[in-house]
Amino acid sequence: MSLARISKLALAAGLVALPASGWAQSVNISYLTHWSPETVALLEAAAKDFSKEHPDVAITVRAVPFGDLLTTLRSQGGSSDGPTIGGIYDLWLPELARDKLVAPAPDAVAAEVKSAWPAGVVSAASVGGTLYGIPNEIDVYALNYNKELFKEAGIAAPPKTWAEFKDAAAKLTNKDKGQQGFGMINSWAAGVVHPFASLLVSNGGNLVKDGKPALDSPQAAETFALYEDLIKSGASNPAMATADANTTGPFLDNFVSGKTGMIIMANWWESALKTGMGDKFANVATAPIPVGPHGDKPHSISYSWMTVVNAKAGEAEQKAAWEFLAWLNNPKSGKNGASAMSDILMSMGILPSRTSDVEAHKDKLGSEFLSGYVSVLADARPFPVVPGGQEFSESLQQTLEALQYGQVSAKDAQANAQADATSILERAAK
Amino acid sequence: MLAPAVTLIGVFVLVPMLLTIWLSFQDWSTQTPFSEASFTGLDNFQEIFGPTSVGRDFKTALLNTAIYTALSVILILPLSVAFGLMVYQREVAGGTALRTVLFSTYMVPMIAVALVWSKLYSPSEGPLNQLLGLVGIGPQPWLSSPRSALLSIVFLNVWQQVGYFTVLAIAGLTQIPGSLYEAATLDGANGREQFRFITLPLLRRTLLFSAVIAIINAVQVFEPVALITQGGPVGSTNILTYHIRRVGIERAQGGLGSAMAVMLMLSLIVCVSALFAFVDRKDSE
Repeated sequence: MSLARISKLALAAGLVALPASGWAQSVNISYLTHWSPETVALLEAAAKDFSKEHPDVAITVRAVPFGDLLTTLRSQGGSSDGPTIGGIYDLWLPELARDKLVAPAPDAVAAEVKSAWPAGVVSAASVGGTLYGIPNEIDVYALNYNKELFKEAGIAAPPKTWAEFKDAAAKLTNKDKGQQGFGMINSWAAGVVHPFASLLVSNGGNLVKDGKPALDSPQAAETFALYEDLIKSGASNPAMATADANTTGPFLDNFVSGKTGMIIMANWWESALKTGMGDKFANVATAPIPVGPHGDKPHSISYSWMTVVNAKAGEAEQKAAWEFLAWLNNPKSGKNGASAMSDILMSMGILPSRTSDVEAHKDKLGSEFLSGYVSVLADARPFPVVPGGQEFSESLQQTLEALQYGQVSAKDAQANAQADATSILERAAK
Repeated sequence: MLAPAVTLIGVFVLVPMLLTIWLSFQDWSTQTPFSEASFTGLDNFQEIFGPTSVGRDFKTALLNTAIYTALSVILILPLSVAFGLMVYQREVAGGTALRTVLFSTYMVPMIAVALVWSKLYSPSEGPLNQLLGLVGIGPQPWLSSPRSALLSIVFLNVWQQVGYFTVLAIAGLTQIPGSLYEAATLDGANGREQFRFITLPLLRRTLLFSAVIAIINAVQVFEPVALITQGGPVGSTNILTYHIRRVGIERAQGGLGSAMAVMLMLSLIVCVSALFAFVDRKDSE
């Protein structure tokens, strides 16, 4: 057989094989997340299951630290080669939608989401009535406390009011042992602002009311003063409060090593606590946020995450991305009537937001740690999702950190926070 | 044959610089085309020097950058000369090994440096505090206090960069003729006098070059802040490059970010020009 004939045969064989290989995975989509490698592996496994049913779609998953997620979305999301799907925090949505970085959900997806998720969660995934993402997780804050330290300090039950809270914080503080009563967080905007906001709403106040900052209220003044009291009394030590780019760091180390009695934190850090504490995780309990003098009952701050699709991606990529997300969040993709997404979330201790997922995971959501969060969900207040929300959050973080380190008084902190928030939200609204 | 070089410089250096200057006078979101930018005059500059949180954060970042740069240069230059002299002495045993060790810190990727140093600085379990405890000094907050966080980042920078500048100092020392030292010895000059009247004056050009590079490196610091402190606590490590990234990319406020970048560029030009002017004056004296 001549060389020319062999070449022609090889070419023909290659052309025959093309549809089965090259054409079989004609659409490549990517998923950007901030999850840990273990959770990324679960997402990759789910993507592989999807690709079995949709051999024409190949999905790759890419993870960046939480601190880099928004920057990555902003710097790469404006290109068709950027991530096709991104997991985002609801606070970022108004500006990403304004800048046309995220695509509106197709009608069928929007109809499904509106019928299967609670209205509040759907609203956080929408801008101007248009749905942009499929909600997945919902996070809520509660008081975490170390039962062993409570027992040592002779405290019988978790504090229900601010007076009890301050009293417990004082009893739990032991400077000789390097132990603080209540752990604040710094160097991480949400970690600083959300616990403060949870105490504020449990005192009958608000961060933002009717689109305008409400930090000049008497309720806010009392919340700033509570922080000042905790710092001045030594019940909270800012030097034990630092977080790093992965939202871990000394604040977490101090709680897991039993040097912090109480902290206000979200449900999602269950996996970090389990990893850090091992068997001692059994010492951690959850309770509602203590109620302030102006509060009616415990409230806390909630926020949600969702998956959005890159508006600059090609038509085929966008279509495949929505199909994958619809499948991932569908009750048929996971185990026992749960969605594959909710199975992934529950592996981290994160509450799913789809109504059917909450029902499917009822048993696990009843665990000692998570039930404390589920019980406060009904009375939780969503963190205000407004244009300029991230900048507002970072500005309030700076003010609260200045208060933590004694650089400003509670009164000045309140005045600064209100003035900054007013200017930021007014500028963002223009 | 200058034309190709001039064109390349124009395209890759001047155009981005001129574009940044133009954008600093515009209201522009980094997520929109340049055509959507609208002229706002000096508004961005007024804002970044104004009393609101935008102005406060920028001024803090500018000050932090200046402190970081000044401390880095003040520590790196004398240390590099001292190490250079130690290593350059041929009779010192292990000089080559010391040179290798010093330079090796410069080759370690910043991500590895950041991971290790964030643990070294850990207030409760960090080896640095444990070492201090052995000599009776109480635990230091390092990165956890606004009073020491920036200084801690400076130490990290000095540790990483000093080897590189030591190599520059050694290169400068090799340029000084040995006959000058022999003549000075014959004239009865001691080691200190030789250092003051021969080594330092003849190292001036090397030190000028080192100072300019150290300033530029320090002004461009980004990774340790992004990886370890995120600008905190209380913005004490929020340096300009990190802040510009937050404003220009995270918040998409391209006009404000460009105005900040222009101010950073101007500060650098003024600083380096002042340094050259100072050395020229010394030379003419």
